[in-house]
Amino acid sequence: MSTFPSADPARTAEPRALQPSFEELSQNSRLLIRLRWVAGFGIISGTLFAKIALKTDLQILPLLLTGLIVLGYNSLLARASYTTASQNERTLRRAQQIAWGQIILDWLAMTILVHFTGGITSPALIYFVIHAALSGTILLPWQTRSLTLLAILIVSGLALLERAGLIPHVGIDELGLDDNLHQNTTYMLAVVFFFGTTLLTLSELVTYIAQRLRQREERIRQLYEARATFVRVATHELRAPLAAGLSLMKNIEQGYAGEFTDQQGAIIQRVIIRLDGLRTLIDDLLTLAVSREASTAQAPLEPVSIRAMLDKMIEREAPQAEHKKLVLDCHLSDEPGITLAGDVGLQIIFGNLLNNAVKYTPEGGRVEIEYTVVRMSRAGSAVIKIADSGIGIPIKDLPNIFNEFFRAQNAKNAQVSGTGIGLATVKTLVERYKGNINLESEEGKGTTVTVSLPLAPKQSQN
Amino acid sequence: MAKKILIIDDDPDVVFALRMPLESSGYEVHDAHSQETGLAAVDTVKPDAIILDVMMDTHTAGFQLAQKLHGPTAKEEHRQIPILMLTSVHQTTPLRFGPDEDYLPVDDFIEKPVDPKVLIGKLEKALKK
Repeated sequence: MSTFPSADPARTAEPRALQPSFEELSQNSRLLIRLRWVAGFGIISGTLFAKIALKTDLQILPLLLTGLIVLGYNSLLARASYTTASQNERTLRRAQQIAWGQIILDWLAMTILVHFTGGITSPALIYFVIHAALSGTILLPWQTRSLTLLAILIVSGLALLERAGLIPHVGIDELGLDDNLHQNTTYMLAVVFFFGTTLLTLSELVTYIAQRLRQREERIRQLYEARATFVRVATHELRAPLAAGLSLMKNIEQGYAGEFTDQQGAIIQRVIIRLDGLRTLIDDLLTLAVSREASTAQAPLEPVSIRAMLDKMIEREAPQAEHKKLVLDCHLSDEPGITLAGDVGLQIIFGNLLNNAVKYTPEGGRVEIEYTVVRMSRAGSAVIKIADSGIGIPIKDLPNIFNEFFRAQNAKNAQVSGTGIGLATVKTLVERYKGNINLESEEGKGTTVTVSLPLAPKQSQN
Repeated sequence: MAKKILIIDDDPDVVFALRMPLESSGYEVHDAHSQETGLAAVDTVKPDAIILDVMMDTHTAGFQLAQKLHGPTAKEEHRQIPILMLTSVHQTTPLRFGPDEDYLPVDDFIEKPVDPKVLIGKLEKALKK
């Protein structure tokens, strides 16, 4: 009963058992702790109910004490698992120890419960099933197997000791069982056999499923990595010849390769514009691929400083603005503005918005960047406003402006290279970070984009 | 005497495109095409400035060479030579191959495709430092 046939014969040489991740461990530990609150109170209230309402002859003192002990060590476990909220080598080991420890403690508490409710004849015996399943989700296969065997040994040991009269048998008369049932060898063997095989089968089954899930997760992670590498390499291979070609063309355009006729000049201009468009397309497709990854639920959110990211992106855009003689007017609050986002995602958001403002504002125009922090009693938010005096967006195009691959007619006419991916990406990311984006525009006057992002709660900022 | 510029880039077309405006602005241009030959050329040519590509034989060859020339273990005479790094990563694209450019020991970045005017401007600025 200890092995399950592999569905795929090629994979019979299974890789080593995968450790549960820190996240999986802490999640399952927290689940166990929540369940144990119920169990502890359940033992106490169940005992009182059985004694008072059902008038059974339960020994309530040891049972109430067991309930209290369970609640007691659970509050210690709850505190321990709270203090190991951040992940590193040391906290992972600690989480594993906590996982082990709590299952052993529970085994002992349940043995006491079983003893005081009838030993081998106790209806509470079935509770061991819960832990056999749970240990499979948080421990390695060999650990689960050892703990399950330990549980079977404890229960058989208890049955043997009670049968031999070395410890007293505590029967409950109201169950209507034969007083000497615990001394019936056949009954005892049958219970131990079915109890043991149930526990082993269940823990093996859960271990098998948990391992399969972990392997699948591992394979997904590897696929993600492979895809990211592919996108990077492919993009480099696409970009390199284009960049070399455009660099050469710019030499001709700027007269470093000698004189050319007006018509040749016009052709060179057109070639440069078309190649530039192709370059933008490659870049935007890459950004889209990256942002899809950054906006998926799997991408972790971490504390990022809005102010620091804004500074960085403004610095990147400044040379282009200077080249177009734009006035960059920045009013930035000194607050770091820590938000829960992704580093890459925030770069895409600010990079795109600033790039748009600079790109669609004619020479000599103005781009205003405002960053303020609004604090409310407990939470707060950061508001980033980017206003330009650019070509604006026609009113009929405004409803579609956040759609993928949509470009306003005047942007196309202005021969500014773009793909219509930028704003769609920005909106997806802002929403992923639980923020809002708002765009106001008037054709010929300019566009104002306002993004607000929630500030991270204090404890996650450290 | 003309100032010496060393271009380290494995793409001959990029080297050609950089060479034209540099030579017509009066610089003496040398080139190398890998991390190893580049490092050797720094000692033989003794350039006044280096223009370095990020990706050559490996994706991070340029980063590694910049570390060797300007990093904490670099020779003092190497550290004096300004480095302009060629990057072909679009401004809004966060996918970069090596460490964040904020931590790179280089003097300036030149975006590919190279605009000759921008190249000359940044080079003059770096040489004045």
